[in-house]
Amino acid sequence: MLKPPLKADSSLCRDCQACTLACSLSHEGQCNLGLARLSIAKDMARYEFAIVICQHCEDPECLDACPADAMHLDERGVVILDDEACIRCGSCADACPYGAIPNHKGADRYLKCDLCAGRAEGPLCAKMCPVGAIVLEAGREG
Amino acid sequence: MPFGWVGKLLEVNLTTGEIGTRDTMRYAADYIGGRGLAARVAWDEIPPEAGPFDPENRVIVMTGPLTGTLAPTTGRTVMTGISPRTYPRPWYTHSTIGGWFGPELKYAGYDGIILWGRSPKPVYLVIRDGVAKLEDAAGLWGQGARETQLALRGRVDSRAQVLAIGPAGENLVRFATVQHAEENAAGHSGFGAVWGSKNLKAIAVRGTGGVTVARPDELLREVIGAGRFNITPAPAVLGVYSPRDGKNTPKPICTQSCTFDCHVVNTYGRAPDGRRTPGVCIGGVYLQDRGVETTEYRSAEMTVPQGVRFGVEKENAFHQACNNLGLDLWFRLVMQPWLIRCTELGIREIRGFPIAPDDADWFLSFTGQLARREGLGAVLADDLRRAMDELEGELPDELIRLGRELEFNFGFPAHREGRFWDEEPLPFWVISAMMHISASRDPTIGTHQSSLMYADFLLDNRELARRRFRVLSEKVWGDPDALEPTFENKAPVAIWSQNQHMLIDCFPICDFGFPQIMRPLKERRDWEEAEDISGDLYLHHRLFRAVTGVELADGELTRIAERAFNLERALLARAGRGRAWEEALGPHFRLPCRADGTSIDAEGFARLLDEYYAARGWDLERGWPETSTLDELGLPEVAAELQRLRRA
Repeated sequence: MLKPPLKADSSLCRDCQACTLACSLSHEGQCNLGLARLSIAKDMARYEFAIVICQHCEDPECLDACPADAMHLDERGVVILDDEACIRCGSCADACPYGAIPNHKGADRYLKCDLCAGRAEGPLCAKMCPVGAIVLEAGREG
Repeated sequence: MPFGWVGKLLEVNLTTGEIGTRDTMRYAADYIGGRGLAARVAWDEIPPEAGPFDPENRVIVMTGPLTGTLAPTTGRTVMTGISPRTYPRPWYTHSTIGGWFGPELKYAGYDGIILWGRSPKPVYLVIRDGVAKLEDAAGLWGQGARETQLALRGRVDSRAQVLAIGPAGENLVRFATVQHAEENAAGHSGFGAVWGSKNLKAIAVRGTGGVTVARPDELLREVIGAGRFNITPAPAVLGVYSPRDGKNTPKPICTQSCTFDCHVVNTYGRAPDGRRTPGVCIGGVYLQDRGVETTEYRSAEMTVPQGVRFGVEKENAFHQACNNLGLDLWFRLVMQPWLIRCTELGIREIRGFPIAPDDADWFLSFTGQLARREGLGAVLADDLRRAMDELEGELPDELIRLGRELEFNFGFPAHREGRFWDEEPLPFWVISAMMHISASRDPTIGTHQSSLMYADFLLDNRELARRRFRVLSEKVWGDPDALEPTFENKAPVAIWSQNQHMLIDCFPICDFGFPQIMRPLKERRDWEEAEDISGDLYLHHRLFRAVTGVELADGELTRIAERAFNLERALLARAGRGRAWEEALGPHFRLPCRADGTSIDAEGFARLLDEYYAARGWDLERGWPETSTLDELGLPEVAAELQRLRRA
C-alpha cells in the first residue's frame, strides 16, 4: 500500500489561495478559507508565506491521540476523520506536529486532509497550484 | 442566501459616523456587481454638481459574485467615484485593484462599501465579520501606506486585509493611490486624494465566512479545464519579452486564485531593506533591466526623449517610495521625459527649483516633494496636464505642447495609442482610439485582453498575422476583415471588447485573463502552425453561471454590460462630456504611429466618432445615448434626464 504524500515548498508560494479554495469548494461546496484542510500562513511584512498542510506521517500521532475512535486509516493508509463521531476535543489538532488539523470555530469542526478521497485524479491542491508549491511526490502515487 | 453574492452592501456616512447596510440583490439582476452596480449607485446618489473633494462624492468599493471564489483571478475589486484627475474637469471614473481585500470583504459578509461625507477627524474603518466601526486614525495620519497596513494588521488582526492611503492622498495629490499589500493600487483615478478629502486613512477587513457556490463540481471542472492560460500571448510566444524569476517559470501573483501564466506582473525583486517585493511591469517601472524599453518618440512635430533608467536597486527604491507615499508611479512615465526635454532645451530650473531628471537621487527626492506638495512638487502635484495650464507663458511653447500630448485628453499618460509607449500598428491604434472616445479616462482602462494584445503578431510577420486574424475575426466578430489594417469598420471590435470588459469588471476578474479571445499558445511554432487561434471566448460567462446558478445566456449577459456602459456614459454626459471633448482627442492621432507611420486627419477622426456613436446607438451631435437606446436597456429614467439636459 502506498500513501501518496504531498510535498510542499513554501518558498514558491504566492498566496493565490487556489489550493485552499479548491479544497473547501470540493469538500464543503463553498469557498471558505477556514473550511479548507490546509492553510497559508502569511508574513506580509516580508511578503513570505508558509503552507500548512497534513504531512501524512508514517506513524500518525493524531490517530493515537483521538479518544473517541473518530479517526481511522483508510485503505491507502490515510488518516480519515469521521466528523459525526468527532467529540470536538481537539486532541488530534494538539498532537499534530505540523499544526495541520485546523479548527473552524464558527462551524465547531476539526478538518483533516483526506487527500481528496475518491478523486481519481489525485488531490486538488496539487492539481490547482500554479507554481508547483504543492506537488504529489513522484513515484509514490497510490 | 443567493449563490456568489453574500447579500449586503455596507453604507458609511463619514460625516455623522452612521453605519448601515442595504440589500445587494436589489441591484444584482440588472447590474450583477462590481463596476455595473457601482454605476447605478453613482447615478442615483452622487449629485451631478458634486466635485471630487465634496462630501457628497462617494467612494464606492465593490466586489462581485465571483470575488473570493475559485474562479481564476477573483481577487479584483472595483473602486469608483468622481475623480480629481480627469481633465479638463472632474467626472466619474473607476479603477480596479488586485489582491486579497475584496475576497476578505466578502468573507466578512459584504459585497461592497459605499462611503460618503467627510469625517471631522482622520479615521479608519474596521470591518470584522458583519460588524463595522470607525476608529480614530490620529496616530496613522502622515504615515506611509505600507506602514499603515502593517500597523492595522497589528491592531485589528494579523490576517486583516487593508486598503490605505499615504501622504500623497492626505495632501490631495491628483494622482494619489489607494494601496493594498505591496503592489496593488487603485492608481490612475486619484481616489487616494478623495479618501484624503474625506479624512479616511484606511479600511481594514477580516472575515471568516465564505462564498457559497451554486454548482461546485461545474466550477471545479471549468477552472481545471481553463488550465494555465497564457495571458500575454504575443510577447510570450514571440519572445518579445519574457521577464521571469530565478526559477525561470512564469508566476502569477497579484490576485486571488490566479492560476494563469502571467508574463507581466510576476517577478520578485528586493526592496532596499532586503525584503522580497513583487512586480515587473507596474506602471512601466521595471524591477529588472531587461524588459520593454521606456518612452522614446520622435516625429517632425514632437520629441519625447528616452527616459533614463536608474538601475535595479534605485528603480526598486523609487518603486517602494511610490507604494508607500501612495503615488501612482505612472507619473514618472510622463514627468521624466518631459523634464529631460526641459534640460535638453537648456532649462535647468522651474520656478527657481533646480531639475536633474536623469539623477536617481534627485528624482527620488522630487517624488517625496510631489507627495508633500513641496518645492517643484507643489507645481506638479496636480498632474502634468494641469501644470501646463499653470506654466503656460513661463516655458517655451514646445514644452507646454509636449506636456499636453504626454497627458492628452482626458489627462492621463498616453498608453496603447500607438505613439509614445506601445507599438500599436494599424488597426490596433484605431481600435484603441475608438475605446478612448468613450472611456472615462485613459485610452484603455482595464481592457488589456482585447485585441490590443495582438499587435506584436502583426509586427512580427504581417502576412501570417493577417491570415490568422481573418479566421479569428470571422469567429469572434462574424467579419473576417475586423482586424484588417484599415480605418474602416472597427467599431464592432471596440464595442465588443468594451462590453466584455464591462462584464469582467462586474464579476470582477482580471482584464488580462479575460475574455479569452485567443487560445493558449506555448511557443512560436504553435502560432505558425495553428490555423484557428480562437480561444474560449465566453469562459467568463460560464464561470458566472457555475458560481451563481443564474442562467443568463451570453447575449443576456452582454446586454447587462451594455446597460452598465450606457449608464456610465450618462454619468459622463451629465458632467459635460460629449463629442466636443472627444473630437479634441483627434490631434494626438495626427502624430504618426510609431510602428507604421500611419495617422488620421480631423475629418477621418470625425468619421471614427460617427461610426462609433452610431454603432452604440448614440446621437452624432453630442455622442449621448439616444432615448430609444436607453429605453431598450430598461433605463427610461436616465433617458428622461438626458433629454432634460439636451433641452437645458
